[in-house]
Amino acid sequence: MISSIVFINHKGEILVYRVYKDDITRSETTQFCAKIVATKENKECPIINIDGTSFIHITIKDIVVLATTKVNVNVAMTLQFLYQLVKVCRAYFGGEFDENCIKKHFVLIYELLDEVMDYGVPQIADADLLKKYIQEGGLKPELMNDVEKLKQLTSQATGATSWRPQNIVYRKNEVYLDVIESVNVLMSVKGTILKADVAGSIQMKCLLSGMPECKFGMNDKLLMQREPRKPGQTTTDKGITIDDLKFHQCVKLPKFDKERAITFIPPDGQFELMTYRITENINLPFKIMPVYNELGKNKLEIRVKIKSIFEKNLFGTNLAIKIPVPKNTANVSTNSAIGKAKHEPEQQGVIWRIKKYPGDFEALLRCEIDLGSTTNQQPWIKPPISIEFQVPMFTASGLRVRFLRVYEKSGYKPTKWIRYITKAGEYLHRL
Amino acid sequence: MAYFGNNQQRGELQELYADLNDLNFEKKKEAVKKVIAYMTVGKDVSQLFQSVIKCLEFQDIEMKKLIYLYIVNYSRQKPDDAIMVIQNFRKDVRKSENPLVRALAIRTFGCLRVPKLNEYLIEPLKDCISDDDPYVRKTAVLCVPKVFEVSPELCPPVLDQLQKLLEKESNALVLANLIQSMREIEVVNGKQLILMNPKIIQKLLLAVDECMEWGQIFILDYLATYDPADSKQAEIIIERTLPRLSHINPTVTFCAVKLILKYLDYLDNGDLVKNLCKKISPSLISLLSWNQSEIQYTILRNISLILQKFPILFENEVKVFFCSFNEPYYIKYEKLDIMVRICDSKNFTQVLNELMIYINEADPHFVRKTIKSIGKIGMMYDKALNEAVSILVEFAKNVQQATEPVQELFIQMQILYRKNRNLYKTNDSLKILFNILEYANEAEAKSACAWIVGEFAEFIPKSVEKMKEYIDNFLIEDRLVQLQLLTSGVKLYIKYPSLCSALIQQLINSAKDSFNPDVRDRTYIYWRLLSTDPEVVKNLVCSAPIGSSQFQKDVRLWETKDLIIALENMGSISNLFHKLPNQLYKNIKVRNNHQQEAKIYKADEKQEAPQKDQEIKKNDQNQQQPQQQQQQQQQQQQQQKQDFDLLNFDEPVSNNNNNTNNKMDVYDLI
Repeated sequence: MISSIVFINHKGEILVYRVYKDDITRSETTQFCAKIVATKENKECPIINIDGTSFIHITIKDIVVLATTKVNVNVAMTLQFLYQLVKVCRAYFGGEFDENCIKKHFVLIYELLDEVMDYGVPQIADADLLKKYIQEGGLKPELMNDVEKLKQLTSQATGATSWRPQNIVYRKNEVYLDVIESVNVLMSVKGTILKADVAGSIQMKCLLSGMPECKFGMNDKLLMQREPRKPGQTTTDKGITIDDLKFHQCVKLPKFDKERAITFIPPDGQFELMTYRITENINLPFKIMPVYNELGKNKLEIRVKIKSIFEKNLFGTNLAIKIPVPKNTANVSTNSAIGKAKHEPEQQGVIWRIKKYPGDFEALLRCEIDLGSTTNQQPWIKPPISIEFQVPMFTASGLRVRFLRVYEKSGYKPTKWIRYITKAGEYLHRL
Repeated sequence: MAYFGNNQQRGELQELYADLNDLNFEKKKEAVKKVIAYMTVGKDVSQLFQSVIKCLEFQDIEMKKLIYLYIVNYSRQKPDDAIMVIQNFRKDVRKSENPLVRALAIRTFGCLRVPKLNEYLIEPLKDCISDDDPYVRKTAVLCVPKVFEVSPELCPPVLDQLQKLLEKESNALVLANLIQSMREIEVVNGKQLILMNPKIIQKLLLAVDECMEWGQIFILDYLATYDPADSKQAEIIIERTLPRLSHINPTVTFCAVKLILKYLDYLDNGDLVKNLCKKISPSLISLLSWNQSEIQYTILRNISLILQKFPILFENEVKVFFCSFNEPYYIKYEKLDIMVRICDSKNFTQVLNELMIYINEADPHFVRKTIKSIGKIGMMYDKALNEAVSILVEFAKNVQQATEPVQELFIQMQILYRKNRNLYKTNDSLKILFNILEYANEAEAKSACAWIVGEFAEFIPKSVEKMKEYIDNFLIEDRLVQLQLLTSGVKLYIKYPSLCSALIQQLINSAKDSFNPDVRDRTYIYWRLLSTDPEVVKNLVCSAPIGSSQFQKDVRLWETKDLIIALENMGSISNLFHKLPNQLYKNIKVRNNHQQEAKIYKADEKQEAPQKDQEIKKNDQNQQQPQQQQQQQQQQQQQQKQDFDLLNFDEPVSNNNNNTNNKMDVYDLI
C-alpha cells in the first residue's frame, strides 16, 4: 500500500516524514520536493509518476500533503485518506492547518500518523475517536492504568458503532438540524439554463443522552409513495425527486436501500448526516439578465438586471454580484437604486453588494466602463457573471424535513430545532 | 560522520547526548523530541541509538512512541543495538494489561525489519493474533506481512493461523485488516492465500455493513477481483453491495460501483441489469461533481473505461461534463476528452454549442484541444459538419496572432475540407482562412496551409504568388511541409501551366537534391510523370473527390479483451494512467481466467453489429502491439499516407488520415 506520508511546505521543505514501508528512500521524496513542489510545475495534477514511484498529493493552502507508493493502490482511497488526515489534524489544532502549527505539534502528528495508518494501510482516522486515546502531552495516567476503561475504549474503536461512546448524559436533550443547499447554475449568454443542480447537506448537532435511535424523514417522493395514505390527508404534497443521497457512516444503509428509511444512532455533537443532489424542478432564487454593449473603442456598458424569485416575506442576504471587467479598465461609473457597486481591480470586476434583498423584486445596475489604452491586441475574454447570496428559510429544491423521531430506552423527549438556508454555489451567467 | 563535519553541529549532538543521559525526566523527553526533529529534517542521529533506547525504562507512553519511531528508523543500521530492545518489546506484548501498549509493541516490533530479530517475534505475534482484544488483533494481523516481507521462511505457522482466523473472526474491523494483510502477502508470495467459499463471502458481506470506511473499501476492492460462481451468487453479492452506493465516502461508493459493474456480466436477467444501471448512474454522477477536485479527477480518469463498456450509464448525461469557468485545467481537459467520447448523433449540437464557449478560454492548450475536438466531431457526424466549420470560421475571424490554437485550426480545417470539398464555400471559410495563412508556423499547420493553397488554387486570389513564397523557403521547411509543397506545387502547375512553369522548375530544382529520400523520390516521380504525360498527372492529382467518405466513430481507449481486467482495477494507479496493471508494474501477473467475452451495455440504439465487429477486429490487431511497435506502425501508416498522397487519391488519404488521427488521440490520453 502506501509507502510514506510527508508534509511539505511551499518551498519544498519536508516538515513531517513518516515511512511505513521500506521500499522508498528519502532522496526520492526530496526529488519530488525539488522538482514539483518547489518549481510549482505541473503541481496541479494530483498524481505524478517519477521513476516507478507514484506521488499522490493534495494541497491545503501552502502545505502539500503527500503519499508515496510503488504499488498499484486505489488512488481515490489514498486521496480521501489524505483529506481525512488533514481533517484529523485540524480537529486537534482547533481548525488550523499551517506550517507553524505543524512545526509546533510535530510530536503529536507523529503519534497520530502512527495510529491512522499501519504498514501503509489506513486505520482508525476518526478525530473524535482518536482524541479518546491520543492527546497532546500524553494521556492521563489514570486511564493508562484503568484496564476496564481501556477495554471499553478498544471495543468501541473496533466495534460496529465506533462513532458513539456509551454513557453520554445531557441534562437537557436537544437536536439541531441545518438544511444547507448550494445552488449551482450555468446560464448561457441568451439566458437559457445549461445546467442546474442543488447540492444539499444536512448538518446535525446532537446533544442526546444514552444510545438514541433516530429516524429521519423528508418529503422524498420515493418514500412518500411507499407510505400508506392516511384518511383525510391532502394529496397535494407529492414530494420531490432526489437524484442521489450520500450518508454519514452512522446511517443504516441496507435499511435505506430496502425501505428508503433513514435510521441511525448519531455521533455525539456536530456531524454531517447526509448530502444530496437534486436536478429536477429547482426554484432558482435569482435571475440575472445582463446586457453588454460596446460604446466605441474605449467604452463599454454593462447593464445587469436582477430579479428575486421567492416569496415576499423572505429575504436574500449578503448578495454580491461580480461583473467582470477588462484588465485595462481605467474608470467605472455605476448607477443603481439599491446596494453599493464598486470597481475592485484586484478582483477584475465590479462587485455589487446588497445587504438585504426582498423577495419578488427587481433591481438594475448600470456600469459604464472606460478603458485605458493597451498594447495587448487580444480581444477581452469575458468571464461569466457570478453571484453570491444566502436566502434563509428557503430551499431551492423544495426539500422539507417531515419528521425526526428519537427513541431512547429512558424515553426522553428532546427539543428539536431546524433551520433552512439556500446559498449560491457556482451561480454563473455567461456574458 | 562526514555529514556533521563542522564543530558546531558536533556540539549539537554532544549536547543531546548529555541531555539524554541526564537524570531529569523532562530534560530527557525534550532531548528525545529534538532527536526526532533532527530525524525529520534528514539529519543523521543514529549515533545516539544507545542513549535513546536507554530512555525506554520510563513508562511514559508518549516518549515510548517517539523512541519506537526512532528505533524503526535506525534498526537496520544498528541491528546489534536493536537486539537490546527486544526484551522491552516482549515484555510489553506479554505482560502489559494495556491493549494500547500491546498493540503499539507488536506494531513497532514488525517494523524493525531485521531478519535475525524476527525469530524472537514469531511467538509474541502468534499470541497477539489470538489476543482477546480486537484492537490488538487488528494490529497483529497487519504485522504478518511486515514479517513475511523480510523473513518468509518463519511465517508458515502464522499464515495457517491467519487462515483459521478468517473462518472464525467475528469483528468486522479485524476481518477487513485480515483481508488486506493476506492480499499484501499474496502479492509478495505470488500464491493465493485467501480461499473463498460461500461462507466466507457471506461473512465479508456482513462485515462491510459493520466496519469503518477503509475496511469497507478493502473488502469491496477484494470482492471485485473475485469471479462469482453463477448468476445467483452474483445477484446476492450485488444486492448486498447496493446500499454502499449511498455512503458518504466517495471511494466506498466508487468501489461499490466497480464491484457491481464487474458482476453485471454474470447476471442472466436483462431487466435486472437495466435496473441496476439506473441505480448506479446517479451515484456515479454525484461523484463526478464531488467538491474535492482531486477526487473528481480520479473518477473522471476512469470514466472513459466505463463509457466504453457501459455507454448506457451516461445516456443523456453529457451536461455533467460541461466545464465550469473556475475549475482547474486538469479537470477541464478530462471533461473535454469525455465530451468527445460521449458525443453522438443526437447530442452533437449540444456539445458543439458548449465547445464554442471554450474557444474563448485563456489557456492556449485548452483552446487547441477544443478546436481539435470540434474538428473531430465534424468528422464523426456528417450532420455536424456545417456547424463545426462555422464555429471554426468564427474563431478564424478573430485571429490576430500566430498562437497555438491557430495552428490546430489549420490542421482541422484541412481535415474537414478533405471530408467535404464543398465546405470552402461555407461562411466564406476559404477566404477567411486565406487571410490568416501567415500565422501558420508549426510544420503540420504549414503543410495543411500548403494543401489548402494547392487544392483551392482556383478560388484563391494570387494563389501562385502565395505558392512562390512557400517555395522560396522550401529548403528550410520541415519534411512534412516539403512533401505537401511538392504535391500542391504540381496541382498548381496543372491548373495554371503557363503561369507556373518557372515555379515548378524552381520547386523541382530545390527538391531533387534533398537529403531526405522521401522528398527526393517524390520529386523524381512527379518530374517523370510530368515529363511523360501531364494529362495522367492531372487525372491523378486533381481528380475530383468521390463524395464525402465514411468515417467511423471510434473513441475506444481500451482493447475489448482488456476491459474486464481494467474494470477490476478501476480506481487504481494503473487505470489512472489508462494502462493495465502489468504494463505499469513488472511484478504483477495478469490473471487470465476470463473465458467470457466482455459485454458492452448500450442504450437501445440501432447498431450495425457486423460492421462494428469487423472494425473492432481491425483495430484490435493494431492496438495489440506494444507501444513501440505501434509507433512504428504509425510511422508506417504515415508513410503509407504519404504514398497515397503522392498520387492524391483523396478518398484513401483521408481515410488513412482518420486512422492515424484516432491513433494520435490514444497517445494524447496516455
